[in-house]
Amino acid sequence: MASKGKSRWADDEDDAALEAQKKRGKEEKKRLKTEKARKLEEEKKAREVEAARASQAQREREDEDATRPPTKRRRLSPDRENTTATNTTGRSSELLRFEGGAFGRCRSVENYDKLNDIEEGAYGWVARAQEQSTGKVVALKRLKIDPKDRGGLPVTGLREIQILKDCDHRNVVKLQEVVVGEDTSKIENIFLVLEFVEHDLKSILEDMPEPFLASEVKTLLLQLASGVSYLHDNWILHRDLKTSNLLLNNRGQLKIADFGMARYVGDPPPPKLTQLVVTLWYRAPELLLGATRYSQAIDMWSIGCIFGELLTREPLLQGKNEVDELQQIFELCGLPTEETWPSFRRLPNARALRLPAKVPGAATGSAVRARFPLLTGAGVSLLNSLLALDPDKRPAAREMLAHEYFRQDPKPKVEAMFPTFPSKAGQERRRKRQTPLAPVRGQAVELGSVDFSGLFTGRDKEERGGGFSLRMV
Amino acid sequence: MAHMTNPLATPDQLYRRHSFSALPTELQDAIFFSAQCLTQAAGILLQLPQSATAQANVILARYWLVEPLMTYEFSDVSAAAIYLIAKVGPSPRSPRDVSNVYAYLLSTSSSFFRSPSSPPPANDPSSYYLSDTAYQAFHTRVLAIEARILYAINFDTHVALPHPLAITYLQALEFLNTRKEKISRRVVEYLNTALLSPQMLYLTSQPNSLAVAAIYNAAKDLGTKMPECEWWEVFDVDREELGFLVVGMRSVDGWARKMREDVPKMKEGMVTRKDIEGEMENRGLHVGNGHEEELDAEAELARRMDEKVAEMETGV
Repeated sequence: MASKGKSRWADDEDDAALEAQKKRGKEEKKRLKTEKARKLEEEKKAREVEAARASQAQREREDEDATRPPTKRRRLSPDRENTTATNTTGRSSELLRFEGGAFGRCRSVENYDKLNDIEEGAYGWVARAQEQSTGKVVALKRLKIDPKDRGGLPVTGLREIQILKDCDHRNVVKLQEVVVGEDTSKIENIFLVLEFVEHDLKSILEDMPEPFLASEVKTLLLQLASGVSYLHDNWILHRDLKTSNLLLNNRGQLKIADFGMARYVGDPPPPKLTQLVVTLWYRAPELLLGATRYSQAIDMWSIGCIFGELLTREPLLQGKNEVDELQQIFELCGLPTEETWPSFRRLPNARALRLPAKVPGAATGSAVRARFPLLTGAGVSLLNSLLALDPDKRPAAREMLAHEYFRQDPKPKVEAMFPTFPSKAGQERRRKRQTPLAPVRGQAVELGSVDFSGLFTGRDKEERGGGFSLRMV
Repeated sequence: MAHMTNPLATPDQLYRRHSFSALPTELQDAIFFSAQCLTQAAGILLQLPQSATAQANVILARYWLVEPLMTYEFSDVSAAAIYLIAKVGPSPRSPRDVSNVYAYLLSTSSSFFRSPSSPPPANDPSSYYLSDTAYQAFHTRVLAIEARILYAINFDTHVALPHPLAITYLQALEFLNTRKEKISRRVVEYLNTALLSPQMLYLTSQPNSLAVAAIYNAAKDLGTKMPECEWWEVFDVDREELGFLVVGMRSVDGWARKMREDVPKMKEGMVTRKDIEGEMENRGLHVGNGHEEELDAEAELARRMDEKVAEMETGV
């Protein structure tokens, strides 16, 4: 560092020349400034003498501003005089200006009036509130802090704040600001001020008497894919996509929320990511099999599960535990083979897995078609690709947006034409969730030795049985 | 765009720092510089990548532009900044590791900020042994400051560094026809030194400008030919800002040498709040808040009364 003997820095002459150049520049600026002040003074006098010409003097001054080169470097001390305030009206620069905003202390939560609680529980505390100065209604989400945690503020909460701050997309919930409790001597109460969105998809699905129309499902999926594609383009993995984390406002706009599990990843994804992510029912098979190096494809699997849920109003794969979840996945999507998922045997939990021996011609393939008889061919192909066991075979969010399914009739419904739902978060308490909670940090579950060999025995019998089949040959 | 831009200091914040602090500017700068050097040293001992340590430097600078310097011990603030950045980034470090590293750097066994001419100090493990109570106390302080830093910077821990941009720009300039390693190394040296600058270059300029200025300086040092046109405009930097940054980056070395001559404490390890208070007293200046002054006034009154009593007693 600076303490080394010989200076690493360039020759002093050069330095001095630059110094001098800078000084000259400064003097020149100073001169211009004083001259300008003088001119203004003169003009002021002139105005006093001849009030009628005031407007012309104004014009002259403006001309003068236009010919002066503007100071473009950020001024490092605020100008105490008003004269330079007009500087900003100089010629527009052809250089790209990078705006990063400013930084400063958080505001206090006292700037908001609480209206009503929205939910409380394992997820933390969320309330509807109103900003006093603007009257704007927002959602206040309190960061859960464990005072006994000697690690300090929870890293998940800090990541959520940082990621939301960096995001700006119509399908991602907006973080307006972060506020703290009144007592700032000890920072204990931290609140995220989020845009208020009336519903979450989960409660809408639970309450609606009829499922969404095909056109509505398309609109919702398009918005979801567009939001996820924005996140993935910005190197963000959400890692907890599910219907209760998708919000819907009364104008048919879907917003992705709850970034408590999200994180930035590079390409290639870093090794040793935690496998304890994504709520069980939406968790991709590679995670269940213990992969620690995974990618954007885990979010795409969750989108597949959400797709199925939008069609039936029921979560697609409601496993009771990790093993049961895997079993349900294999029942729906078929068994992994060396062809459908070449590398799956190398995953940590896959070694202990016993799969039924492959019977030629037996129905061990995907059962998606049978499960969704009303879905169009394009829809089935999209759902099948999202629920591909091999993560490499799932489409990227951007590819999904271009899928044939969204171009076929019925076309996606215009958002504004979306049905509205009785506003719940307004006053009513939300119903208690039945979805299992997102996994918490800790020991990953070892699947141990699991025997799936009995999985498809029932099906074989069905085929052999002499019942009738609707299939036309 | 968030990956290429930083929130910058407002002119008002910079003005306030120099005009409303009880400390003279050169002492503020000395504290800033030594804390940044300490953070760098800790980053090396914690085996953090420079990308993380540099972010901690920037966070520390932002924090001190919002909050007064003398509120917490300087080394504690440095530790909290590095702990926080390591935690939210890909390479977290345990509080225990952080406390061990700082205990060592602040001990008499470390050569941090010792005069380079004197022999390295003897290694005395007892000087950096941390008792459990001392560790708990340090840990609690760091956690409190961590929250305070987040509060001061509005929970925005995002820092865009100019280093990767500089390499990209060098590639675009075909490394100015010199050896890649040589010029890249020089550029990175300039960028890392700029982190220590009391002019807080990372808070007043965007990464693209810092990258271009570092390239300009490195090219000058190596005597390589730069394009004849105004090439910096290609990277959206104007001449005036470039000139300012070039001088700013070059001046750090000379400034730091002079400062270490002027402030004798800077040769005896990391400066502490106590050192600064002592220095202020030597200069006949007063540091502290109203509360302390009040105490002083009370003490003064008590002293006078004692004198009065003594006078009366001797009088009798």
